Amino acid sequence: MTSVIEINNLTKKFGDLKAVDNVSFSIKKGELFGLLGPNGSGKTTMIKMLTGQIKPTEGTAKILEVDVLQNPIKVRELVGIIPEQETPPSFLTAEEYLEFVADIRKLENIKEKCDEWFKLLDFEDQRNALCKDLSRGTRQKLMVAQAFLHEPHLAYIDEPLINLDPIIQRTLKDFLLGYIKKGNTVFFSTHVLEIAEEICTQIGILDKGKLLHQGAIQELKKRKEHLEEFFIKLVKEG
Amino acid sequence: MTLEILKAMIKEEWRLHTSLFGSRMFALFPLLIGISTFTISLFLPHMTKVMTIGQMLQSAHYLFIFFGVSIGAFGLFGREVMNRRFGQASLIAYSSRSLPISERIIFLNFFIKDILFYILLWILPITLGFILATPFISIDTISVLFACATLMLSFLIGLSLVFFLSTIYVHSSKLLIGLLLVTMISMTILTRHLTIDMNTLLLPYSMFYQPSLKKIILSLLLIIVPSSLSLIFLKVDYPEKKKQYKNSLTGLSNKLRFSTYAHYVAKDFLDLKRSEGGLGKIIFSFLFPVGLTWIFLHIFLELIPSIKAIMIFAIFLGIVSSSIYNMLTAFDTFNPYMFLPVKVSTVIKSKLMSYALINILSLVILTFATISMNQLTYFIPALCSFTTISLYSLSMTIYFAGLHPTTLMYNSKIFSQYVTAVAPLLFVFTILSILNPLTMLASPVLLILAIYVLRKSYRKWDKWKPLSI
Repeated sequence: MTSVIEINNLTKKFGDLKAVDNVSFSIKKGELFGLLGPNGSGKTTMIKMLTGQIKPTEGTAKILEVDVLQNPIKVRELVGIIPEQETPPSFLTAEEYLEFVADIRKLENIKEKCDEWFKLLDFEDQRNALCKDLSRGTRQKLMVAQAFLHEPHLAYIDEPLINLDPIIQRTLKDFLLGYIKKGNTVFFSTHVLEIAEEICTQIGILDKGKLLHQGAIQELKKRKEHLEEFFIKLVKEG
Repeated sequence: MTLEILKAMIKEEWRLHTSLFGSRMFALFPLLIGISTFTISLFLPHMTKVMTIGQMLQSAHYLFIFFGVSIGAFGLFGREVMNRRFGQASLIAYSSRSLPISERIIFLNFFIKDILFYILLWILPITLGFILATPFISIDTISVLFACATLMLSFLIGLSLVFFLSTIYVHSSKLLIGLLLVTMISMTILTRHLTIDMNTLLLPYSMFYQPSLKKIILSLLLIIVPSSLSLIFLKVDYPEKKKQYKNSLTGLSNKLRFSTYAHYVAKDFLDLKRSEGGLGKIIFSFLFPVGLTWIFLHIFLELIPSIKAIMIFAIFLGIVSSSIYNMLTAFDTFNPYMFLPVKVSTVIKSKLMSYALINILSLVILTFATISMNQLTYFIPALCSFTTISLYSLSMTIYFAGLHPTTLMYNSKIFSQYVTAVAPLLFVFTILSILNPLTMLASPVLLILAIYVLRKSYRKWDKWKPLSI
């Protein structure tokens, strides 16, 4: 199978701090890869490097066969990104924001697609509200919709379910499972192990910038090992 | 308690700036302003060939009022400061929601902190630079000290009056228009029919020549009363009802289809329209200072009839109009674009388009001013001068500060580079406009340089690691 993400010796330094330290791995098409790690382990930095938002200090990364260092804009054209913190521009309505993103991505006739997202994530009644007035959860729904508007083959999601209610969490989990079944790939970072255990096909464990483990979640299940125990043991041992 | 909040806010502001470009670069900023004023002051004796010291002092008072006016629209930003600028960040201005402190107290501290910062970064260094130069230019130090005090009063009066007017605007734009009309009519009657010298109304300036307790009290009242009323009536609450808007982006973008950046420009206009203060921002950040400049020039240049007022006005208008870019970028960072396939240069280009559209207003003002000053002969040279200054200054702003002019200009290195690039041009333009206004017809040649600088800026800001503020 083709590698959708291929990274070699990726390192990011902020002054003396190594946020990501010489990490190499690849992710194949159709995987739902969960990057797990404690707070401050380098997960968000990793996503930002893999989407061309920040430049790696060392190493290389190819995303959908595009070199992210050479062409970060092309990478962001191809993928969908749900950032951990960024919020949509305050004075556009939810609907206008999706239209704005569609214009940037040069998409046409997106009204139906927008309607589908408003309906799927159950925020139809908020489509004409200003983004600044939306609750955190609704903003996150909007960020989910913008990331999938252009039907990308690869989506990056940073802490995907953190502000969503249990019903929408279930909807989104089902959507992601259906999405990878169609041959697409998801890279998501989280420190909520239950979510990873439930939906991921592959996991990577990052701590203090170092990749401590990468493998199929199925292997753990075969060994009848719980992800939580495995994670804590690995991180404590360093 | 209040003093503690104020101290914490000052620390926070300091750290906010120093974390962006280092404490040395920020700390050197007032020093740079002081050195610049000191250097300019040394040339004062030579300038007496064009203006008397009294005229220079008068124009300095106008300039300080102008400075106060241009930054004083706090009333517009009451809610916005509390809600938007800091709403997402864990800053003290946000604490009223989680701590038992009222929003008004927080805003009062924010207001005092901002004034202190402007005084420490601008007013104090300017006055100190001036004072330190006095032994070299044979001007009496005591008079200079007194002038500095009256200049400070002018700054605070300008700031306080606009704070008050902007607070009225937030409550009722009709009330503000009414008040301005009454003021204009009263001023006209006072100056024309009762033959009152306008300079006596410029209290701090008249106090310099004829100091009196009455004038000091009146000046202080002009600062304290409007500011206090503004703080009492300031809107800092969060509206309970959330407004719903029908989609305006599509319609607006369709009207702007002539531009490649239609959606971005439409977004800028919706930002301006829907944010707190809305179009009031253009009124208070642009129209009001421009209007005031026009009135001051009218009064001032009557004393020097050989100078073509429209030419000096065009230079002022060029500088003020280039600051529209600052307004467009003040609340729109690059962060929401970072995860989309957007280059920094694309956002800069879209801001340039919005800037160009808003500047149609400047053209209207320039035309109106030319007609009212009865100086139609000089319209084309004034237009050339205005366009060149506006675009040249803007290209330098973009080159040095990208999408963050309001923050990065406090980096002493960036500020000195900007001043070095812009100040000589302003000086030459002013001298040439006085000596022979027709020379300004050649000024658009500089637009080639402006376009070159803009192109270089796009490459500079598109490089890796976009600044994230």
